[in-house]
Amino acid sequence: MLLSLVGVVAIVWLALTGQLGLYIHPRYFEFTIVMAVIAGMAVVAAFAVVPGAEPDHDHDHVHGHAHDDHVGDPGIQDARGGGSGTRAVWAVLSVVVVAATAVALLVIPPATLTSATVAQRDLNASAAVAEEAPELVGTDTAGFTVKDWASLLRQGAGEEYFAGKTADITGFVTPDADDPENVFYIARFVVTCCAVDAQPVGVPVYLPGWQHDYAIDSWVSATGGFGPNPSGTSAQAIVFEPAELTAVDQPAEPYVY
Amino acid sequence: MLVGVLAGAALVGLLLVLRTVTAGPGGAGLPDRVSDFVTLSVSVVIESLPFVFLGILISAVVRFWVPDRWLQRVMPRTPWLRRVTISLVGVLLPVCECGNVPLARGFLMKGFSVPEAMTFILAAPILNPVTIVTTYQAFGWDDGILAGRIIGGFVIANLVGWLFSRHPQPWSLLTPSFEAACRAEAGHDAPAGQRVRLRRAVVAFAEETSTMLPALVVGSAIAGAIQVGISRDVLVALGGNPVWSVLALMALAFVIAICSNVDAFFVLAFGSTFLPGGVVAFLVFGAMIDIKMLTLLRTTFTTKALALLVTVVALASIALGFGVNLLA
Repeated sequence: MLLSLVGVVAIVWLALTGQLGLYIHPRYFEFTIVMAVIAGMAVVAAFAVVPGAEPDHDHDHVHGHAHDDHVGDPGIQDARGGGSGTRAVWAVLSVVVVAATAVALLVIPPATLTSATVAQRDLNASAAVAEEAPELVGTDTAGFTVKDWASLLRQGAGEEYFAGKTADITGFVTPDADDPENVFYIARFVVTCCAVDAQPVGVPVYLPGWQHDYAIDSWVSATGGFGPNPSGTSAQAIVFEPAELTAVDQPAEPYVY
Repeated sequence: MLVGVLAGAALVGLLLVLRTVTAGPGGAGLPDRVSDFVTLSVSVVIESLPFVFLGILISAVVRFWVPDRWLQRVMPRTPWLRRVTISLVGVLLPVCECGNVPLARGFLMKGFSVPEAMTFILAAPILNPVTIVTTYQAFGWDDGILAGRIIGGFVIANLVGWLFSRHPQPWSLLTPSFEAACRAEAGHDAPAGQRVRLRRAVVAFAEETSTMLPALVVGSAIAGAIQVGISRDVLVALGGNPVWSVLALMALAFVIAICSNVDAFFVLAFGSTFLPGGVVAFLVFGAMIDIKMLTLLRTTFTTKALALLVTVVALASIALGFGVNLLA
């Protein structure tokens, strides 16, 4: 029951502070919030009904967990049979689980994914960027995001397409795998369901010594055109040539959809 | 009773305060990998939690408000026909796989047999309107992906149900404590009186969440850890091969552990890198089995039963994937 409360409180708080988007796609916001509120009410009601959950003790955390096990976990505990020894082990384990969950959901501040995950997931590899590119060619580029430009680059839209185009994009800084010294990406994560499936997309920038001015994972906003990539080792043919490149704060909606 | 409600509310307040206090600006100063592990695991929890709650609520309604006699009357008597019917129940109850486990537990308590519950767990995540609509939105009728998912899911669920019905003692597949709980409940019809029912439903909700959530949390943490630890390039590199595309996407489905209601959008991103057979295998296998599902199912079934289940479903999904690759 304590775990439910931790989950419910975490969801409601994220929703209230507008940070639910760090974890799930906006299309699930309503369902998630409604279920969290219903579950919250059910759990509070359960406190009144469940025998043994009388509130005559203080709110000592460990005590609360021990209770949970009593009411709650016959499925796992009794399955192992066990005398008081195994029972104690399971009690300790469940305290650990509850404590770890509380720390993860309630103590650590919500965060976006970082470049460590970009490295795991092959920037621009997924076809999230490939699907829409044909429709993009010929449309107005004013509202294009990092994702749109990345799609066009991946599709090999060609130098003549990019000639004279101006992009205005915001994203976080992540190094190029082939030429980390000279090339970095202005990148975003594309989320289709929740952060688990986030796919990194990005636009390459050629700027030797960029590390001195921009930290990895810091956010930048840039305006500029495109041109051929002077880097010898990078696999990218065309790079973004920002005329202006400024550090900015992380936007309220760090992911794109 | 009022004191209990107040205590619960106070606890909610306490946790809210804790959250507000700790939510300082800036990160927690964790290394990137650890921070990403937490973010990924939390996102699995937050994504699945509403479905688990919904499943538990529906399960409580089925247990305490649906009369046994009514269930027996609508259900056909022939075992395989019963299983076919049960595999279609998901159409009425659009809960994805994480919500199906508590629901199946409710059905078992209501007197369903073990093979029937298995069939339900496997079929319902695929044969439900939300999944079908999202799969259609993602793929349309391309390459038989939608048809492969629906037909394949239905056939595999009933195949597994039939296999488990050959088991000499199906009840021994359940964990002893859960079996005891089922036996205690058998024979008692839904209690009379709305107050009593409501009271017992609330207790059941508390018990089920206490059983399910630790399993969910542990499963999500494992899923998050695998995500951080294993590079995805390897899997994606295998996409074009008719054999490997199926196996690679099934492995991905197992570790990524996202709900069947939404996985079509996810795999769409891989749609052009992978052959359709791999996509179908992902959509069928992933909806039935993944790392988070195994920890949830372990609350109810023995390890041996689960090993058997995984083997059969995996083999059947592989066959399905290869078949689609041959045809498409």
